[in-house]
Amino acid sequence: MTPVTVVWRYLQGRFVTSVLTVVSVALGVSLVIASVLLTRGIKEGFIAGATDYNLIVGAKGSPTQLVLNVVFRMDAPTPNIPLSAYEDLRADPRVEAAVPVAMGDAYQGFRYVATSAAYFAPFSWRRHVPALATGRLFRSEAPERPDYEAVLGADAARRTGLKPEDRFYEGEEMATYPLRVVGVLRPTGTADDRAIFISLASYWEMNEVSRKARVKPLTAVLVRPKRLSDLTALHRGWNVGPDLQAALPSAILLNIFNLLGLVEDVLAVVLAVVAVVVGLYLFVTMYNATLERRREIATMRALGARRATVLGIVLLESCAIAGLGGLAGILGGHGVAALGASLLAARGGPVTHALALSALQPVTFGAVVALGALAGLLPAVLAYRTEVAENLAPL
Amino acid sequence: MRATATALTFLLALAGLSIGPPARGEEIPRLTFAQLADSMRANLGVTQGIRAYNGREIEIQGFIIPAGPPDLSFFLLSRVSGTGNYCCELPSGQDETVYVYTARGVSLRYDPVRVYRIRGVFEAGHQVDRSYGVSFFRVRDARVEEAVGARIFKVGETKGP
Repeated sequence: MTPVTVVWRYLQGRFVTSVLTVVSVALGVSLVIASVLLTRGIKEGFIAGATDYNLIVGAKGSPTQLVLNVVFRMDAPTPNIPLSAYEDLRADPRVEAAVPVAMGDAYQGFRYVATSAAYFAPFSWRRHVPALATGRLFRSEAPERPDYEAVLGADAARRTGLKPEDRFYEGEEMATYPLRVVGVLRPTGTADDRAIFISLASYWEMNEVSRKARVKPLTAVLVRPKRLSDLTALHRGWNVGPDLQAALPSAILLNIFNLLGLVEDVLAVVLAVVAVVVGLYLFVTMYNATLERRREIATMRALGARRATVLGIVLLESCAIAGLGGLAGILGGHGVAALGASLLAARGGPVTHALALSALQPVTFGAVVALGALAGLLPAVLAYRTEVAENLAPL
Repeated sequence: MRATATALTFLLALAGLSIGPPARGEEIPRLTFAQLADSMRANLGVTQGIRAYNGREIEIQGFIIPAGPPDLSFFLLSRVSGTGNYCCELPSGQDETVYVYTARGVSLRYDPVRVYRIRGVFEAGHQVDRSYGVSFFRVRDARVEEAVGARIFKVGETKGP
């Protein structure tokens, strides 16, 4: 009988205990894998959804709120800014592209984003250009005679079931201004997928406050300078004024990542405690098993098994339990992460689920097997030192 | 996992050190923003003196302006912090901005008010990049670390060490 066969028999002999220990290890590993994948997925979701525009000009207030709302359609919009801010930026010789954006309410949770055709312009420096899957873009109309046309992001179209030529509105007060779908965008993997784009003229006329306003409002202007070296001067120039601010979207996201880093540090401590608990549980299981098997071990020794063989069998059993739990945990962790990512995505969270194999899986598996070896070490030494004569005495 | 990541980073850093910096005894030259500004000439030119560093590994210190994607694979290095609205005079533009392309796998904690030390392969001269536009000074394959107690040299000041 080989050591592997002996280990298999041992696992079968204590089936319930073995399964429970494997499940415990698997739960611990699942927690590690799911936590790492989800935090990484959220970070990658923010990076993937980041705007290619280098500067966002909006009302004075929180730059984080400005960026989260305008780029990721999260949080509440910052206060309005006058249309003249956009006109000033468009006339600035340092600016290559200035895109006006006004954030509206929502239809079935999908936010209205009023903008101009420039939002969809295929500049060479853009990573994600919103391209049409079907239909056309809304027309640029005169402010006083809007066409109430809408272009839907891919998710917004899929989830609402709206298609070109459909008319829709939400709330009785909006029945006077039903929007007509004229186009649907291809998926971009950004917050644009969950937006309903309309023209600024439609937005201003639908909104009771802006309809009466002499100075038409915007939420923000997306800015791309001709030379990136002008970014610092543009940024400061808009920030020194009393009413408006300019935010660097990447800087804001990096600040958010710094906060995520703190969460990751806390998580690392929690996961370390989980690893210790799992290791202790494995140790107690193996220790009790070895105590129960002293007579069997003495018999093996009496039949010619060497001390090293006995030590190896206990270590192998411990590593096998840890390895099985590790494998199950890695699979389970991916399942939990996929579920968590889909729930977050359904709520509009910027999250991707990295299913691709990376160093995470082999490193985690190796660490779990090493933990198994460590937990089994003392029981293995106990088995190694088992005295034949003492333990084969008549019961 | 962070411990594992730290260990991996340490091993990668060791691997990087074995091929990255120059041989023992060879000093990495440090450039300053004052030198870059002084090297600018009319017609989009730079002096031969600064061109002599082309293709060589150099060191330069400054503030990070995240002008590219938020993974910091690309950023601007500036004499002036991106958050200080009143602290000092504005950079004059292209001549005081270095376009930094970081080495693969570089990881750093961004802080807008900290000075960072950049080491990488230097390029001087007018160039147009599809994603990042016109630049005069670039550092490629850059490694980044915080420069504790660093000083940024303004135009007209000493040229540094």
